Amino acid sequence: MEDNKPASFIDQLVVPGDVVLDLSKMGNQTIKLGGGLHQDCDAITVTKAGRLRFSKPNKYWVESSQKRYVPCVEDTVLGIVVDSKADNFLVDIKGPAMAFLPVLAFEGGTRRNIPKFEAGTLLYVRVVKANTGMNPELSCTDAHLTCPVLEALGKKLSFEIAVGLNGRVWVNASSPSTVILVANAIMNSESLSVVQQKIMVDKLLQRIQ
Amino acid sequence: MEFVSPEGLRLDGRRPMEMRQIRGEIGAVAKADGSAFFEMGNTKVIAAVYGPREVENRSQQISDQALVRCEYTMANFSTGDRVRKPKGDRRSTEISLVIRQTMEACILTHLMPRSQIDIFVQVLQADGGTRSACINAATLALADAGIPMRDLVTSCSAGYLNSTPLLDLNYVEDSAGGPDVTVGILPKLDKVTLLQMDAKLPMDIFENVMQLAIEGCKAIANYIRELLLENTKQLEYRRGP
Repeated sequence: MEDNKPASFIDQLVVPGDVVLDLSKMGNQTIKLGGGLHQDCDAITVTKAGRLRFSKPNKYWVESSQKRYVPCVEDTVLGIVVDSKADNFLVDIKGPAMAFLPVLAFEGGTRRNIPKFEAGTLLYVRVVKANTGMNPELSCTDAHLTCPVLEALGKKLSFEIAVGLNGRVWVNASSPSTVILVANAIMNSESLSVVQQKIMVDKLLQRIQ
Repeated sequence: MEFVSPEGLRLDGRRPMEMRQIRGEIGAVAKADGSAFFEMGNTKVIAAVYGPREVENRSQQISDQALVRCEYTMANFSTGDRVRKPKGDRRSTEISLVIRQTMEACILTHLMPRSQIDIFVQVLQADGGTRSACINAATLALADAGIPMRDLVTSCSAGYLNSTPLLDLNYVEDSAGGPDVTVGILPKLDKVTLLQMDAKLPMDIFENVMQLAIEGCKAIANYIRELLLENTKQLEYRRGP
């Protein structure tokens, strides 16, 4: 039903310019287009290289990877302060525009105890507003994460960690060797399954004990 | 001087309708958001894309679309004689403008208002067809950066020497003083986005030469497509289950 060859592009790798759906052949349905797809009259074309996915009942999107972050509400990210203005801080979150962090968006924040962040300070923040064309808005918050690598490391070592969804991670511990071990464990775990991750963490921990 | 021998071979042993060997590599510049290296015969160029990011100069910000900037430079060592002025000379400014207009036509700029996309292309070794190689490298770099595009853009040049249309001119053939037609197309949409020529050609011969260049562009498009698919597969594999 989609295209002359039915469902030929779903779960296939696609490249910008590929026409994956022909609406004139699909009758009177409503379909939802996610990221990476663009409508050009009756043809749906791909705009990013990746894999075309479909989820019932009617949603299509392209799963792709890129280095640049697209701000999304409720994401927790690590930002670097670039400038401070009267009412908010300008924070770089590796997105299309600088983000604003209101000076009062902290736990117990009032006009009398405004935090002073210099340019270059690393902050762990949550995205509150993210609309295209507008600067995103942030707020300071906590978060709870479950991750097999971090749990296994946490049983033997003590360290502080902040994980951002924009590709930045911050680690702190009392000794440099712990920081390096945690950082290496995270970087090694990128393409491993859960079982392999546990084995990898055990091997790293054995080296220091 | 004879550019096509009586047996039908050019100076570098190619047939008139034969393109030089092309090779591309995605991710050549680790720090950039998207990058690529592209070779057409002995012409080697590298492209790096940054963005979408905050506009540096507030006065240049466009409220409903992204600002696309492009800079074309030639490395000092790229030509036989050491280049004295790598950028800022008229040729580089013109080519920067041409590449910017070509890529801007295919980027969906309205999806990223008030932001900036920077495309930097540098020629590492020049042997004719540098602007085509730069456009092909820029396409790969933009796709690597995940910047939404209508279609890929590919470019190729063709000329007319010794009464024969020649595909993909190298430096010697280009300097012969004959016509040099550079074409850029959007392969899937089948549209021409760049068409330049220097010197003069009669209309009917021009049609043949332009058609030859378009065939070259389509061949490059197939190669670039395969390269992107392979790269996507590699990224998926590295991401893991």
